[in-house]
Parts: sequence; C-alpha cells; structure tokens
Amino acid sequence: MKGAPRIQALAAVAVLAVLPWLTGNAFLQHMMVLWAIYALLALSLNIIVGYLGELSFGHAAFFGIGAYTSALLAMQWGVPVWLGPFLAAVVAGAFGLVIGFVALRIVGPQFAILTLGFGAILHTVTNYWVDLTRGPMGISNIPPFSLGPIALDFTQARNMYYVALAFLVGGIYICHALMTSRRGRAFVAVRENPSLAASIGIDVFRTKLHGFVVATAISGAGGALYGHYLRVITPELMSLQYVAALIIMVIVGGKGTIVGPLIGALVYVSLLELLRAAGPLRLVVFAALLTACVIFLPGGLVSLWRRLRERRQAPEPSGAPA
Amino acid sequence: MEIVVFAQQVVNGLANGMGYVLIAVGLTLVFGVLRIVNFAHGEFYMLGAYFTYYVTSLAGIDYLGALVIATVAVAAIGVFANQFFFRPLRKEHEFTILLSSLGLALLMANGAEYLFGADPKYVNTRYADETVDIGPLVVTQQRLLVIAVALVMIAGTYWFIRFTRMGKMMQATAQNPEGAALTGINTGFVHAYTFAFACGLAALSGALVGPTAMLTHTVGDWAVLKGFIVVVMGGLGSITGALFGGVLLGIAESLGGGYISLGFKEAIGYAIIILVLLWRPQGLFSVGSGRR
Repeated sequence: MKGAPRIQALAAVAVLAVLPWLTGNAFLQHMMVLWAIYALLALSLNIIVGYLGELSFGHAAFFGIGAYTSALLAMQWGVPVWLGPFLAAVVAGAFGLVIGFVALRIVGPQFAILTLGFGAILHTVTNYWVDLTRGPMGISNIPPFSLGPIALDFTQARNMYYVALAFLVGGIYICHALMTSRRGRAFVAVRENPSLAASIGIDVFRTKLHGFVVATAISGAGGALYGHYLRVITPELMSLQYVAALIIMVIVGGKGTIVGPLIGALVYVSLLELLRAAGPLRLVVFAALLTACVIFLPGGLVSLWRRLRERRQAPEPSGAPA
Repeated sequence: MEIVVFAQQVVNGLANGMGYVLIAVGLTLVFGVLRIVNFAHGEFYMLGAYFTYYVTSLAGIDYLGALVIATVAVAAIGVFANQFFFRPLRKEHEFTILLSSLGLALLMANGAEYLFGADPKYVNTRYADETVDIGPLVVTQQRLLVIAVALVMIAGTYWFIRFTRMGKMMQATAQNPEGAALTGINTGFVHAYTFAFACGLAALSGALVGPTAMLTHTVGDWAVLKGFIVVVMGGLGSITGALFGGVLLGIAESLGGGYISLGFKEAIGYAIIILVLLWRPQGLFSVGSGRR
C-alpha cells in the first residue's frame, strides 16, 4: 500500500474507531461488535469463494470449532481468554488443513457437496459428544475478555468493539497482504483457469490448500470472539443456517473484494435487527436478497459503486462490466 | 431370533431407501439434462408432504387422491422455479447456478415456515397404523406402499426415458444441447419438462414418506442431503446408480441405527459420500461419461 490507498485505509480505520462514540446507545454498539465479528467471518469465507473460486458449504463448522475450542480451553484448562482466539485459529486451521487436504482434490459442485458432508459430520459430532460439548444444550457462562477488573461482554460493547475491530483490521491486513503477494496472484490464476495456472508452474492443489487453511484459521478466531462475547454457544453455530448466512454476506456484499464482505456483513446485521418484527419473513427477505444478487447483480453491492464510477468516467454507455 | 431382527431392519431400511431413490432420481435427472446441481430439490419434497397434509386434512380428500394432487401441483411449481431461477442463468458458470439454487432453497424453506407455521404437522393416512405380517416380519402398509409406488415409478421413468419421444429428446439434450437444438428439439421445453418431472418425483416421495415422520419446514434440508448422498454414491446423472445408491443408503442407515446408535445413523451417509467422492469421484455405478 502506497500513497492514496494507504491514506484511505488509515482514514477508514480512524472512522471505524470513532464510530462507537457517536452513539451512547448500547444496543447500537452491540450491533457494531456483531458486525465486526461477522465481517471477519465473511472475509474468511471470501478467501475460498471469492479468491479460490470454490463454494464451501461447510464454513460454519470452522467458526463453531473456533468458538468451542476457545471456550473449552478457557473453562476446562484455564487458558487465558486473550490467547483463545489465537489457539482457536490454530485448531480451526488444523481442521482446515486435514479437511482441505482431502476435499480440495475435488472441484466444482462435488466440492460443495463434500464440504457440506464434512460440515454436517462436525455438526453431528458436536451435537452428540455430550461429555465434551454438552450437546444441544450448548456451553454457557463462557468467560469474557477482560481488561483488569472490566469484563468485555455485551454490557461493555464499546470496549469489546475495539477488540473485535483489532481482529477485523488484522484479518483485512492478512487478506490484503495475501492478495498483493505472489501467492495471491496464484489464487486468482487458479480460480480463472486451473490448467493454465498449472502449466506455468503453479501447484494448484497446494495453492488452494494454503488459501483454505488461512480462511478456516481466520474463521476459527472469529468463532472465539463470538463465544467470549455472547458467552453462550450451541452446536447451532455449525448448522446450515450459519453456512447460508455467511454465503449471503459474501455474495450480497461482493465476492472477490475486501470491501464486499464488510458491506455484506453490515447489510446482514442491520437487516437482521430491522426486520426482527417480521418474524419468519425475515429469512425469506435474506433468501430473496441472495437470489436477486446472484441473478441481477453478480458482483454484489460493491459492483454498484464500480459501475457508477465507470459510467462517470466514460460518457458513452459502456457494455456490461466483465 | 437374531436373524429376524436383522431382516426386519433390512426391510425397514428398504422402505426408507426407496423414498431416497425417488428423491435422487429427480436430482440426477436434473443434473444429467440441465447440468444443475439443484440444492433446492429437497424443498419440493417438503412441499409434496405439506400439500398432502393440507389436501387430506382441509379438503378431506382421500390420501391416495392427495398423493396425485400434491405431485401434480408441485410439478407445476417446478415449471415456475425453473423459469425464474435457472433459465436466466443457463449460460452462467455452475458456481452461479449452485448459488441460485441455494437461494431458492432458502426462499422455499423460510417461505414454508412463514406460510405453514413452525409447529410440526403429522400427515394422516389409513395405512400408517395397519400392518402386514410376512412370515415373522411385521411391515406397515405405508412402508409397503412406499416400496410399491417407488418401484412402479422407477420402472416407469426408465421406460419413459428409453422409449418415448420426450424421453429420447431428454437423452439427446443431456448428451449435447447444441446438437439437440440443431435437430429441431426445443431444449428449453425439454429442460422445463425434466425439471417439473423431477419436482413431481420429489413431491411424490414427500407425500409417501412424509406420513412416517414429523413434518416441519426444515425437512427439505434433510431430503436434499439424502438425495446428494445417494446421487454421489450412484454417480451424478445415473438413474441405475440412484436406485442402488438409495437402497444401499437406506439399509446401511437402518442397520447402523439399529446396531450402533441412532446418532451415528445420520453420520453414516456423510461418511459414505466422503469415502465415495475421494475413492471414485464419478460415483460407484457411473460408466465414466457425463463429465464436461
């Protein structure tokens, strides 16, 4: 990052840091924390969906693994909560390594089905391994992050926001660094044309595995933040509902970009609350939003901005964006 | 005695398996002809079960009549689903089509919760409580009905694809859409027809198997997972594979649930697809063609 982009990025971080002070409303601050955590998760799925070009239907399982790892480490073995997200990332990444090592040999719809199978097995195991996970009851009273005597749970949303934001900025930096590196360009080459990528010496399988492990590790860290913040986790975190939620964020926001998943998470979190009164209809709206984006706006909401700018720069009507 | 228990498990598994086969045949047809991995396929199963419930309980029509009404109605809905969710994306990447089907699945499952309520329903049939004794085995009439109808439908589907004009047009479209269009086949019509046919089969399965369990709006997830497992086992696009895969899964689950644990039963299917996809990604019964 040099020059203008660097200034823009710093300005964006500054704005995000000031944001919780613009409102004294604890609920809005709570929403900001949720946004930061979901944005981190969406960002991690985006590495697989947007950069590697494979659809994973099992991503929520790694989110769940992270949440359970960090909660159990803190509660059973007294591991400091601040270490939780990092250890959760290591464990989720290790699961990602094993599952990716097996699953990434397959591509396309079969890969999606395979990840669905792995996700469902992890969900089932979490549900039935009652001795470790307490089964469908879930784990409650998870210790929160703390700063000295202050516990950073949902009563301290403003402080927790900075923890989540720090992880989010870290996640963004990882994505940015990855995509501007040689490895990131390999990701895109593999997405666009695996055979051609292989012909110029890119190891397609290892490239994909690398991306998959980074993505699962980040989502593990996100899971840990989620667990220590809300202090209750259940196996539902690994269910298809969360898989769908993450996919909606990435696709509606705009896959293959860094800003897209952030916007997608914002749309998701705000609609989730704004439509709370609508009951079951709320999920219908999300589904409609996903479908509408897939059919009419394949680039997601970020592509609207790009389209607008292109139109301003080129006076004559240009063709459909590539 | 032990052998009787075993045989009983196998028969129960066979009935479940035939329900899976009906789901999977549609899924495999849609993949073979339209090249769509339809994540929303299970939702048509769910609709079939709900329609049967409402037709029998509200309209007071006999169960067998409701079976036919539900199948035809869901097939008609299938025409619209194809028209709005898949037809505009015909030329798109399979990734986009898969996402569109996910959107449709969520739309239908959550729409069902909105329309039909979240409380579980029970489809009443007069066959569910009546049993038939076959030697030492006891089978409910409902299970026999599932097996019988499924066998007839699969034989019928096989015959339809092999010998009728429409079936041959489906085969041609599956093999080469452009070539089929060149010979004057309206591939758009064949696609719509195949999709509706598949939805009808899924609905029929829902109407038949629905009464054996509690009915909720999330049952479509369950159905599509079973369908995927069967289709992956049998090979995407193979009807014979779907038949063997479905029966195999039904019996494996029944035995696993009976002898190991009920929780484990659900995991068996997933373990099977993982092993099959890694060992033979083209499926156990596939002849190897059908890949793009």
